Amino acid sequence: MIRKKFNRIYLSLILVMLLLLALGQAVPLGQESSSTAHAEGAATSPMDGQKKKLILGTSADYPPYESVDAKNSGEIVGLDIDIAKYITSQLGYELEIANMDFNGLIASLQTGRVDFVMSAMSATEDRKKNVDFSDIYYAARNTIVSKKSAPLETEASLAGKRVGTQLGSTQDLYAETIEGASLKKLNKIPDLIQELNSGRIDAAIVEDAVALEMTSLNPDLVMNFLPAESADNGYALAFPKQSPIVAEFNGVLADMKANGELDRIVDKWFPDEEKESNSLLNLNIDFSVLKGYIPYILKGVYVTLLFTLVSALFGLVWGTILSLFKISGIKPLEWFATAYTSVFRGTPLLVQLTIIYYATPQIFHYDIPALMAAGLAFGLNSSAYLSETIRGGIMAVDKGQREAAIALGVPYRTMMLRIIFPQALRTILPALVNECVALLKESSLVSVIGVADLMRRADVVRSATFKSIEVLLFIAAIYYVLVLVLTALAHRLERRLRRSD
Amino acid sequence: MINVTDLTKSFGKNQVLKGITTTIDRGEVVALIGPSGSGKSTFLRCLNMLETPTSGVIAIDGTAITDPKTDIARVRQRIGMVFQHFHLFPHMTVMDNITFAPIQVKGLPREAAQAKAKELLARVGLLDKADSYPSRLSGGQKQRVAIARSLAMEPDIMLFDEPTSALDPEMVKEVLSVIRGLAETGMTMLIVTHEMKFAREAADTIYFLDQGKLVERTEPEQFFTKPQSERAARFLEQVL
Repeated sequence: MIRKKFNRIYLSLILVMLLLLALGQAVPLGQESSSTAHAEGAATSPMDGQKKKLILGTSADYPPYESVDAKNSGEIVGLDIDIAKYITSQLGYELEIANMDFNGLIASLQTGRVDFVMSAMSATEDRKKNVDFSDIYYAARNTIVSKKSAPLETEASLAGKRVGTQLGSTQDLYAETIEGASLKKLNKIPDLIQELNSGRIDAAIVEDAVALEMTSLNPDLVMNFLPAESADNGYALAFPKQSPIVAEFNGVLADMKANGELDRIVDKWFPDEEKESNSLLNLNIDFSVLKGYIPYILKGVYVTLLFTLVSALFGLVWGTILSLFKISGIKPLEWFATAYTSVFRGTPLLVQLTIIYYATPQIFHYDIPALMAAGLAFGLNSSAYLSETIRGGIMAVDKGQREAAIALGVPYRTMMLRIIFPQALRTILPALVNECVALLKESSLVSVIGVADLMRRADVVRSATFKSIEVLLFIAAIYYVLVLVLTALAHRLERRLRRSD
Repeated sequence: MINVTDLTKSFGKNQVLKGITTTIDRGEVVALIGPSGSGKSTFLRCLNMLETPTSGVIAIDGTAITDPKTDIARVRQRIGMVFQHFHLFPHMTVMDNITFAPIQVKGLPREAAQAKAKELLARVGLLDKADSYPSRLSGGQKQRVAIARSLAMEPDIMLFDEPTSALDPEMVKEVLSVIRGLAETGMTMLIVTHEMKFAREAADTIYFLDQGKLVERTEPEQFFTKPQSERAARFLEQVL
């Protein structure tokens, strides 16, 4: 009996959802980095004896300052993190770390999503317009990294060359001032290495510590420091404007400088001896670099699937409602649905996602979790497409079906749910599957707001290993397998629905 | 039982019904005949408000169903309708087709609805098809299931909109005999049909419609032997 069959399908869908949600409770994977580092030795707690929590925003793809310890605990570690832990423990705060894209850090400060930022961020004049900075805790030198076979040593030698920088970094601003260089701004450090190795850029400008890491892992690359005056801005902690905690942070920083704690931390992360280079065949693809990272990457499958399911279900429900608006014959509803479709189809999904994630806290004063923001954005976007598909499916159902139901006195809701939708579903199932496949693949966009999905985890591993191709091929294979499984499931469902033919 | 007063219906500028007034008694079997485009089907579809009349009043047992305040869904439960193209629900078995409305609309328990459905299937001679899907049935079988589906709601009135027009000739008979059997139970029925022999034998009254008007309303014998209007005479000449 087909009705029972549908009930079974619905039921199993709901069960899967509940299971996934329960897992989500047990294993906090939704957002990569909400690891709470308990402040140690909080003897000097100043806040009425009560521990308050501070959220540190960082872009954990910049070792040794901050990176995800993907091989071990998956926690975020680094020079900045150690300093932050030390200061907050001295002041008696509990520390929570939020990992996100470097470009989103300032916005997160402004919207109150994080309390302070440490992400090897220089205190530039531009940034000072939007945030307050602490005293400088470390000054890095700008460094040119280029191929050993075609080394570039001075600023003057960069004229006429293609120079890569990390978008939004201090070196990016500095590179703007180099005469005659054509700039290529990339999102991540591993991208720079990839572009260097493939010869698409002649040099990259990064800071000293990063250059050290890059060259030690890639023996073909060579680094050359630029004169120190080029790097006039050192690293500092960023706070929201008029933040009351800047002063106490500066106090502890001064203490750290005085008592040698700061030097101790810097020494820990910048050992004097150069690391022995152990990568032999750099140009060859070597999947052994993935060793140790695979469990960490695979955890992203769950996040990606959960996220796809949430947005697909939301998109289906809202898309159905929109499609009903479109055929309602009530003008305002029709206009609304048409305008909605037009706007959401007419603007990029990435823009919608970013707006929802950053604007919601600002406008509604609600700190929207990344997974919810992503589910919302993808659902809203997908429903615009689905509403057209579903409308077409409904229109394709023979008009007589509706008349037969009406003549029997069946109410509208029951008629739609039990007579029209099941028949429409059969026609539109292939289109629905396409939409789900698209959602699954596009879900990789959510990595920009810090959701630890497959793509984000790949980025983390890339920044730890400086190996791009292997990691990217690996997750591409995972995505492909997921799509194959999804398509196979859809085929089975289709066959069951066709049983009545 | 059914009182129709000055009923008109227009589709845009095209006036399909041009003022029809009539009364149908309880237990009366009416055959509606006339050339295509005469408004027979539209008249029938107005009786359960599948088409909203442009003007005029339709009252069933004194209740004006054309009044917007009337709960039309409730009225429709009392009026069964059988369509030319059956309109069975293709994703449901025969059994589910028949029990769907009694369970969903009347709130009948499943067992009771299924017992009733079996009784009706036996009546239309299709008890063995209860678990088949409509796609497995012949046209005649489909139409008999459609009749059973309507009867499951225990209506007071049955409307048939060209019930045999889409059937192969050899299947017409099985459907007509079911309808004839129903007429003998005293059901009030209106049947749009091109089967003149059937109309003559089964109907109490013949309505002859032409160009949106009820031209003639007489007993079958009189209509088929001595039509009063010239238009009816000409129509009979063509079809007999």
